[in-house]
Amino acid sequence: MSELLLTHEALAALVEELATAGRPAVAPAWAGDAGRAAGAAGAARETEYRAVTDAAELALGERLPRLSLKQFFLPATEVLFSWRRTASEVELVSAPTELPEQVVLGARPCDVAALPIVDAVMNWDYADELWNARRAATVVFSLACGVEDGSCFCDAVFLEPATPRGSDGRLTPVEGGYLVESFTDKGAAFLAAHRGSFAAPPADAGEALRGQAEAFRAAARERVAANLSLDHPRLRDWLDHHFDDPFWASLGPRCHGCGVCTSVCPTCHCFDIVDEPESVGRGVRRRNWDACQTCLFTLHASGHNPRQDQNARFRQRVEHKFLVYPAKFGDVLCTGCGRCSRACPTGQDLAEILAAIDERAADAATGDDRTPAKSSAQPDGEASP
Amino acid sequence: MSEPANATASQTHTAAASPGAGTIYQPDLVVVEAITDETPDTRTYRLRFKDPEKAASFSFRAGQFGEYSVFGAGESTFCIASPPTRTGYLECTVKAAGKVTGSLREVDVGDTLGFRGPYGNVFPVEEWEGRDLVFIAGGIGLAPVRCVIWNVLDLRDRYGDVTIVYGARSVADLVYKRELEEWAARDDVRLVTTVDPGGETSDWRGEVGYVTPVVERVAPSATNAVAVLCGPPIVVKLTLPVLAALGFADEAVYTTLENRMKCGVGKCGRCNIGSVYVCKDGPVFTAAQIKALPQEF
Repeated sequence: MSELLLTHEALAALVEELATAGRPAVAPAWAGDAGRAAGAAGAARETEYRAVTDAAELALGERLPRLSLKQFFLPATEVLFSWRRTASEVELVSAPTELPEQVVLGARPCDVAALPIVDAVMNWDYADELWNARRAATVVFSLACGVEDGSCFCDAVFLEPATPRGSDGRLTPVEGGYLVESFTDKGAAFLAAHRGSFAAPPADAGEALRGQAEAFRAAARERVAANLSLDHPRLRDWLDHHFDDPFWASLGPRCHGCGVCTSVCPTCHCFDIVDEPESVGRGVRRRNWDACQTCLFTLHASGHNPRQDQNARFRQRVEHKFLVYPAKFGDVLCTGCGRCSRACPTGQDLAEILAAIDERAADAATGDDRTPAKSSAQPDGEASP
Repeated sequence: MSEPANATASQTHTAAASPGAGTIYQPDLVVVEAITDETPDTRTYRLRFKDPEKAASFSFRAGQFGEYSVFGAGESTFCIASPPTRTGYLECTVKAAGKVTGSLREVDVGDTLGFRGPYGNVFPVEEWEGRDLVFIAGGIGLAPVRCVIWNVLDLRDRYGDVTIVYGARSVADLVYKRELEEWAARDDVRLVTTVDPGGETSDWRGEVGYVTPVVERVAPSATNAVAVLCGPPIVVKLTLPVLAALGFADEAVYTTLENRMKCGVGKCGRCNIGSVYVCKDGPVFTAAQIKALPQEF
């Protein structure tokens, strides 16, 4: 399908049309109450993904939203079922798995690319009906990214700032609006259903607009490529053979274990399952986002904890993303959005850490490995039986 | 108080009677048929599915586990401690230690709990036919081993010699005491029980000492034998080299890893060790597999 033009005016009308139809688009928007009031864009600098009803709330192509798009597919908390008890009988009420349609407009490509990455986890052997229902009910248009800052590294994890991965379609900024492409039947159906908003570019301007879009994407690719590059097979091999490397002990001391890196991450999907009583004899079971960076995550009821310190927990985060997930699903559990680095209260920077590991991996590959592959000092805080 | 708006009759899912209702996280309802006190803090619960169809169709294999619900307290992971050779019910043996296990203490016969499962891989008991079997367990680690022991004893003529070494902190902490007596009385089972030094009573006639040195003393033959080892992580870590010294090949030694789990189905990201999800790739591992993993359990 050839590219269509979505002018700023048409976008505003589309946002209002969707809101009026009762399914307001989820889009980057100015954060906070100030951001909800039209015209406050200049004052409120933070952005967030939110269902928008007024085009003035939109913050397309502005700062990276604080949280990723993940919350619209794996909510921070959601009900799995509710239960009611009478005498010794218990009745369960299932959570609905037919969910209302969602439209996502102008999401960061790195956030959208995270969706098929998490799909793999949510569907090996057991299919997670709630995740899949939200995926099926959602059409996602990404917005080609101009690269946020030096913490971005999508290019180093098999992506690029305008990657089509996971998107049903893509917007690229051009003069007067956006050039729009669809990549899937779902995306094409959305464009067809809202054909009044999308017009073929004027015959005399089409070539120029396509040139602008391509130039925008190429410039972004070039900008992000300068941030980080990784040799993944070499990196994986190093991770696989350096579980006890002293390098890991340099990471824990500057980690508070707060888990903000996992909350802001578009690919972190770990969750807890807890019961929440609502009244006498009834309540709900929920799943809530959880974080491998907290001590409680792996704590056994006996008091034994397989991951005893923050070094081990940080190693887990890096290994899950760049060794464990790749071994299972043949990809990496990271889209290079850089949110973890920006959000960390102690300045822990994943791009820096990966660069440091890559350097060690390069040294190991050329035989200049100054650290032993296996340390004999495996700390074991267990008491005698 | 009014009911939630979505609690309509059409969505009501009672006793798993409507197939397809609910997500993979929604348990089947089970009723507590019997409760046995094992130790002052450990009980065995015998459970039966409320839905007769589910009860009839349910099957599992030795080594698998489930997620057990106490509605209002939450869900916990325990092995299925009864053998697959005995159908119509399943048992779990639980030590009161946390929120769910503590609330299980308040449960009575006739109460309704939840069960999801069976999950995980299995002990390859069919492959072991014709071989001698050595079972080693510490504390409540006898629960998963008990499942295999009865599986084997229910098909006794298919297996060679059966040796069981079981230890606990004290005489009071030994679980399945009636079954220990039963095994001790059989002439086709060699049972050695031990308690930690100081844990013996005046009439204790078993061994005194930690499980690992007792295994060393008992020195079961490794010839054509398979060893199954379950217990606290420290018992497993210390006993693996002893079995190796006795001549057991790493491929002939089986254990279970008991990592904390929530989902049981490879999603929640909690139980992995290296590239292994204990809930799906385990909980049963050979010593060879354990050695290839990062030592993070």
